[in-house]
Amino acid sequence: MRDACAAGVDAAVAAGATYADARAVLRRSQAVGTKNGRVETLADAETEGIGVRVLVGGAWGFACDRRLSPEGARDAALRACAFAAAAGGNGRRALAPVEARSGSYRTPVEVDPFSVSLEDKVALCLRAEQSLAHPDVKVAQAFVRALGERRLFLSSDGVETEQEIVESGAGMDAMAVADGLFQMRSYPSQHSGASAQAGWEYVLGLGLDQEGPRVAEEAAALLHADECPSKVTTVVIDAEQMQLQVHESVGHPTELDRVYGTEAAYAGTSFLKASDLGSLRYGSEHMNVTADPTTPGGLGTFAFDDEGVPAERQPVVAEGVLRGFLTSRETAARLGAGGGGSMRADGWARMPLVRMTNLHLEPGSGSLDELISEVDDGVYLQTNRSWSIDDKRLNFQFGTQIAWEIRKGKLGRMLRDATYTGVTPVFWGSLERVAGPEEWHMHGLTNCGKGQPGQSAHVSHGASPARFRDVQIGVKA
Amino acid sequence: MSAPEIAERALAHAGGHDAEVFVAVERSGFARFAASEVHQPTLIENVSVQLRLVDEKRAGVATTNRTDDGGLAELARRAADVLASATDDPDLPPLTPPAPMPDVAGFDEETAELGAGEQSKLAAAAIGASNGFPLYGYFTSGVVEEAIASTTGLRATQRATDSTCLALAAADGASGYAIGTSWRVGELEPAAVAEEAAAKAARTRDAAVAEPARYRAVLEPYAIAELLYYFSFDSLNGLGLLEERSFFAGRIGERAFDPKVTLVDEPLDAGGLPRAFDYEGTPKRRVPLVEDGVLRGVAWDRATAARAGVESTGHALPAGERSFGAVPTAVRLAPGEAESVDELAELVGDGVYITRLHYLGIVNPREGVITGMTRDGTFRIRDGKVAEPLVNLRFTVSVPDLLADVPGLTSETKLVNLSDFYDERWAYAYRAPAIATGNFNVTGAGSGPGL
Repeated sequence: MRDACAAGVDAAVAAGATYADARAVLRRSQAVGTKNGRVETLADAETEGIGVRVLVGGAWGFACDRRLSPEGARDAALRACAFAAAAGGNGRRALAPVEARSGSYRTPVEVDPFSVSLEDKVALCLRAEQSLAHPDVKVAQAFVRALGERRLFLSSDGVETEQEIVESGAGMDAMAVADGLFQMRSYPSQHSGASAQAGWEYVLGLGLDQEGPRVAEEAAALLHADECPSKVTTVVIDAEQMQLQVHESVGHPTELDRVYGTEAAYAGTSFLKASDLGSLRYGSEHMNVTADPTTPGGLGTFAFDDEGVPAERQPVVAEGVLRGFLTSRETAARLGAGGGGSMRADGWARMPLVRMTNLHLEPGSGSLDELISEVDDGVYLQTNRSWSIDDKRLNFQFGTQIAWEIRKGKLGRMLRDATYTGVTPVFWGSLERVAGPEEWHMHGLTNCGKGQPGQSAHVSHGASPARFRDVQIGVKA
Repeated sequence: MSAPEIAERALAHAGGHDAEVFVAVERSGFARFAASEVHQPTLIENVSVQLRLVDEKRAGVATTNRTDDGGLAELARRAADVLASATDDPDLPPLTPPAPMPDVAGFDEETAELGAGEQSKLAAAAIGASNGFPLYGYFTSGVVEEAIASTTGLRATQRATDSTCLALAAADGASGYAIGTSWRVGELEPAAVAEEAAAKAARTRDAAVAEPARYRAVLEPYAIAELLYYFSFDSLNGLGLLEERSFFAGRIGERAFDPKVTLVDEPLDAGGLPRAFDYEGTPKRRVPLVEDGVLRGVAWDRATAARAGVESTGHALPAGERSFGAVPTAVRLAPGEAESVDELAELVGDGVYITRLHYLGIVNPREGVITGMTRDGTFRIRDGKVAEPLVNLRFTVSVPDLLADVPGLTSETKLVNLSDFYDERWAYAYRAPAIATGNFNVTGAGSGPGL
């Protein structure tokens, strides 16, 4: 693999590239899913190849080849150079400097998920599913996943890195149906469960079959729950939904490529301007958000990003003020601040883009019970069900699988079909309190979409439950 | 090496099992541009080989992109391991038997031959026609050769080309959108796509806020096609029907929509992006979904069809997406009689005009409730005319309610690409006219048009 990467970089430079990098990637994944007692998904996939990115005359070019050989890498390099030359550049692209170095990283795992037999994975899913048994649960499903990826990166700036990533994940859903109503409860999240950069121990630690009876009971009870009312009120949001709130309304708008407009045609831009750095009030003083590609277990954890920039923990919002952007070497150079470190590609056949790594809402203090006890009238929202946000990341609407009325500091009746909506800085400005470290949880998502052609990024977010005032809930069709 | 050759070689490694191989060979290029400059040009060459082994009521799947003998032998070993781990599924259908495949169009030599130089030139043609607006978007073209080979004797091959130009003409406070797609690049005019986007953008400056309310509305083909696509995930999907997530559950045969609404999946239509067979090798066919407002049926693959006791309609998704069920990917909303969107605005009288949608989310699958934002060309309709521009609007609509009150549709339809080109290349598109509805629920306002 190293010879292939070196051949690709050398060929690109010989063809006129002022900068070139090559990434060789071998990826293997397993997916197991069961539904209503039968195996629905049982698959083992592998893919390998090399992607070469070049700068020729100030224009980027990227091409890839599935042959992990010097010949394949050279062919990709020449195609990338030809595309860059055909595209034409303005000669203005500059890259923030990176130190020439080599390094390596490997996900610490206790039990390699690929060493666990598929039979055991199927058995775990079936046990989890059985724990969801309930007369009103029409569909019970459980799933586990494993991913192993070896990445070798080499650039004409003298960076050479080798990283081995291992991911494990699992989850389950109970879908209840009666009298034309459909309700669903999931654990630990609706987004194909949750994943971490870890071994099989992470899956076992989720304790799916122990959570099953509660999940099923709640799904069934939602069929008889009252509909969430429509009003402006105080909301307490659980850690899982807060993670998606951070993802959509802080993570994406602070991606500097969006700020500069290069994602305008698909994912959108941002309400932030580059000049807002250091001065824009994003939220209340309780809001502290950190990008941290060094978080143990995070899906966005690495030693080097896909431009060879070392991982570094950085504040994004501190005490409610915008303090950082997620950057590439190019956008950092344009901003004149930072050095990149958030460039990630989905496999070998895509260019790296500015992506989230692990983005966390830092904990405050106190327990969830304390957050609720201070509410006279409000709702507690749990577990994401739907999500949507505008192209500048201002107007959002989320739905949760379940909600609970809060009356005089106590949880009351269960509510179904809960939604809440707001405008990003107004919403974060109404943040009253974030619960403490003991309530802080991190989950990994594998479905963050961006780019044309599309790329899925694996990212993690940690958050504690948080409380916001004056929030519109109960949006109706 | 061709897809059929790879499929035969992979099948030879199946080791006496009942087996099915699906191969896709892709060559594609993206000239993605921002601020009128190509900034992310991407060339992709890849092969995907999927081997599915079946033993009575058990099945196992493995995939690879290695096509040498070692890679295919390893593929067979991993598939056998998966098969050995499977449990019995009493409803597992047998492998797809041989069947005559329909003759379809969908392959164009000129499109297949496009390389980086031509893709860059076609992107430049769009950029040059944006009438002074910075242009964002892409030109892409690709060719995919697919082959399926099975121990049942099934052998089939299809070659498909696709080309798409997406244009967002945008500046501060103004933006317009257009997209064109065809399997024949000669029918695609990137400059015309950019001109349409720029003309729309020029009308969007000084956008006003519209108050949340239930409006009458005109939706351009881009908007209604995407809304129907999201509706299809649960409601036009056989798995959704079985699991009672579908709005169609318990309602097939009922008149639920306006009599002007007819929805058909038309995968053989040469005016779309035609395919002869699905990812299980089942021949594609026309599938009525809604006729004159009456709910008629949904899409099925072999697994969901077996459970429902019906036949597959040829809607198996790629292996990695099979758990989503059977989603129709060539839906056609029948045209109406209106000669233009202006005529639809007259029918609406007072309402909103919507060019495209953004970031849809399914709020309630069973009731077909979807939320999202309008984008890049939202206007007020007053006195039957398209009037002042509006900021992007948050909507939360019941698609069945929207389709239950349809004053009119245009006679002209448009093919709307819906593929975002994740993973292996697979282009698909819906064809739709513009539609007027009496029921479009605006629930908030967002940012203005433009960057």
